[in-house]
Amino acid sequence: MEQLDIEKTIVILKKYSLSFLDYRLADSPDKAAILAKKAGFPVAMKVASPDIIHKSDIVGVKIGLNNEGDAKKAYEDIIKSARKKAPKAKLKGVYIQKMGQGTEVIIGMKRDEQFGPVLMFGLGGIFVEVFKDISFRVLPIDKKQAIEMISEIKSSSILKGTRGKKPVNLDALASLLVKASKIAEKKEIAEFDFNPVIADEKRAVIADARIMVQ
Amino acid sequence: MMKKLDVFFNPKTVAVIGASRDPNSVGYGILKNLTTGGFFESRFSKPFPGKVYPINPNADQILGVKCYKNITDIMEDIDLALIAVPAKIVPIVIKDCIKKRVGGVILISAGFAEMNEEGRKLQEDIVKMLRSAGIPLVGPNCLGVIRTPSHLNASFAPSMPPHGSVAFLSQSGAIADSIIDWAIEHRYGMSTLISYGNRADLDVHDYIEWLGEDPETKSIALYIEGIKDGRKFMEVARKVSKKKPIIALKAGRTSEGAKAISSHTGSLAGSYEIYKTAFKQSNVLVADTIEELFDLAKALANQPACKENAVAIITNGGGCGVLCADYCSNLGVNLVELKKSTIQKLDKSKKMHPAYSRRNPLDIIGDALPEQYETAINALLAEPYIHGLIIIQTLQTMTNPEKDAEIIIEAHKKYPNKPIICTYMGGKYSKHGINTLETHNIPDFNDVSKAAKAMWALVKKGEITK
Repeated sequence: MEQLDIEKTIVILKKYSLSFLDYRLADSPDKAAILAKKAGFPVAMKVASPDIIHKSDIVGVKIGLNNEGDAKKAYEDIIKSARKKAPKAKLKGVYIQKMGQGTEVIIGMKRDEQFGPVLMFGLGGIFVEVFKDISFRVLPIDKKQAIEMISEIKSSSILKGTRGKKPVNLDALASLLVKASKIAEKKEIAEFDFNPVIADEKRAVIADARIMVQ
Repeated sequence: MMKKLDVFFNPKTVAVIGASRDPNSVGYGILKNLTTGGFFESRFSKPFPGKVYPINPNADQILGVKCYKNITDIMEDIDLALIAVPAKIVPIVIKDCIKKRVGGVILISAGFAEMNEEGRKLQEDIVKMLRSAGIPLVGPNCLGVIRTPSHLNASFAPSMPPHGSVAFLSQSGAIADSIIDWAIEHRYGMSTLISYGNRADLDVHDYIEWLGEDPETKSIALYIEGIKDGRKFMEVARKVSKKKPIIALKAGRTSEGAKAISSHTGSLAGSYEIYKTAFKQSNVLVADTIEELFDLAKALANQPACKENAVAIITNGGGCGVLCADYCSNLGVNLVELKKSTIQKLDKSKKMHPAYSRRNPLDIIGDALPEQYETAINALLAEPYIHGLIIIQTLQTMTNPEKDAEIIIEAHKKYPNKPIICTYMGGKYSKHGINTLETHNIPDFNDVSKAAKAMWALVKKGEITK
């Protein structure tokens, strides 16, 4: 099992009409600053290299960058760190992505030995990591089941708006779950993780995707 | 396939290959079970009314029944062949069964896929042979099959459970054995018991499908360790659960930790979670313990579905009513608010204690006589907005468990479409009342938490069959 690189990942996301926060490639610190400004702050930056898949392992990710100066410096730091920790890797530069504002959720798919493809849903951060607050469905699912999945997690009230926060668009999120689940029909895709998916009152959009193939 | 399974539950002729004279052997146990109903005598065991043919090349007769050297020596057609011989000679015996064109085979013997690779290979060969001959197989490595309405104890289980309407499918033979002993003690009625072992040919979904059409079975209890074909299971369970409730107890809930899966999703998707999801998606109710499995199966087999989630509690003990309300609430069982008209009706009857609670749970006060129970039970069951009733009885000097039980049975006859679950809290002095309830198929549980869970299952039955 291996992870698809970012270009191939985007091809899959597009094919299944899954909305994602777009990436732009910068190949210099100055270009990084320009693209970051264009995308709108805050931005996230990730090393762009077909040879480096697990970006955070080599400190290839910086998030919450708020101005052009920070963007330039982040570019330099990421490249420096990548050269040091993966000297043989071919470096194309750095991807720049506008950071989403909203509630972070996780959508995943794996193939169970007995039941076949299974979809997972949970709230990002500690909700999944610590509380294991997740719901599953054996695929395929329809929109009604997707809404059930969302409502089933204990922390679902957070999505429905608590403490002055606006509710997320459940319909959009459920649609994304259904669309994502269709990827399972492609047998060579072993599993995937969309983490995080940013949900707000208008839409649900994938910020980072990991697709594993057989 | 469905029709083919009939031979396991209603055969006319049964052969026991490996019948033995040694009272400590499996082959003796099976023959004794067939000829008497139960190795350990119980009032529920009767001899199998069909013909039994022991096969043993070295004996003339065992337990007074004439032996045959080979199954092919029998003139009559054989519906069902039970095999209890060492694994390595099973293929020879199977060939004889194919030659004899038996209707079905129960392979009791162990030493197959559960043991080693060689055993797995042997098992595959046997399945291939039987499948090409079109003969269905139960097992191997199993206890056998018990079918109470046919007085068929085709197993080496200790005895025969009472006749009832719960079917039990067990991947474990030993659990099935113990359940039979327990069922006899508690008069727990069963229609069918299948220990399916290695499920080399027939799998749990085949049995579920058959039981779905079986008029003797009203609920299906499963003890499951693993399911081979999860998708098929879901497909069949989804179909059958619309007609008949299915309850599952899954073992091996925590072993998933061993399976290291690379991605984040994998690491969280412990298989029990997926089993639970699959059960939920196919309307299979989940039990946490063996006791709960049989509690729920009993309630579901003997009481109608709770058509709406709108339940009332009648109690002569305030504390028990409160506890029961807590359990109901935690399970999502909705306790309806009693309408003014209902209270007025109760007030007007002039039968209630002046301090009765006038709300749900309806506390009819500790000194409640049968008359108070009768008034309250009939008043609530008559209300179209109340769909199920939990009746709690605690024991005081004036309490009359027997008479109360009769009132409950009468009320159930009058309102047969509304489920009643009872909790007679107590022991020695409540026992006769409980027996009366249970013999009339009113489930009684010694704890209000179990009563609440049983009502939850009946509410689910209502939702699923809607």
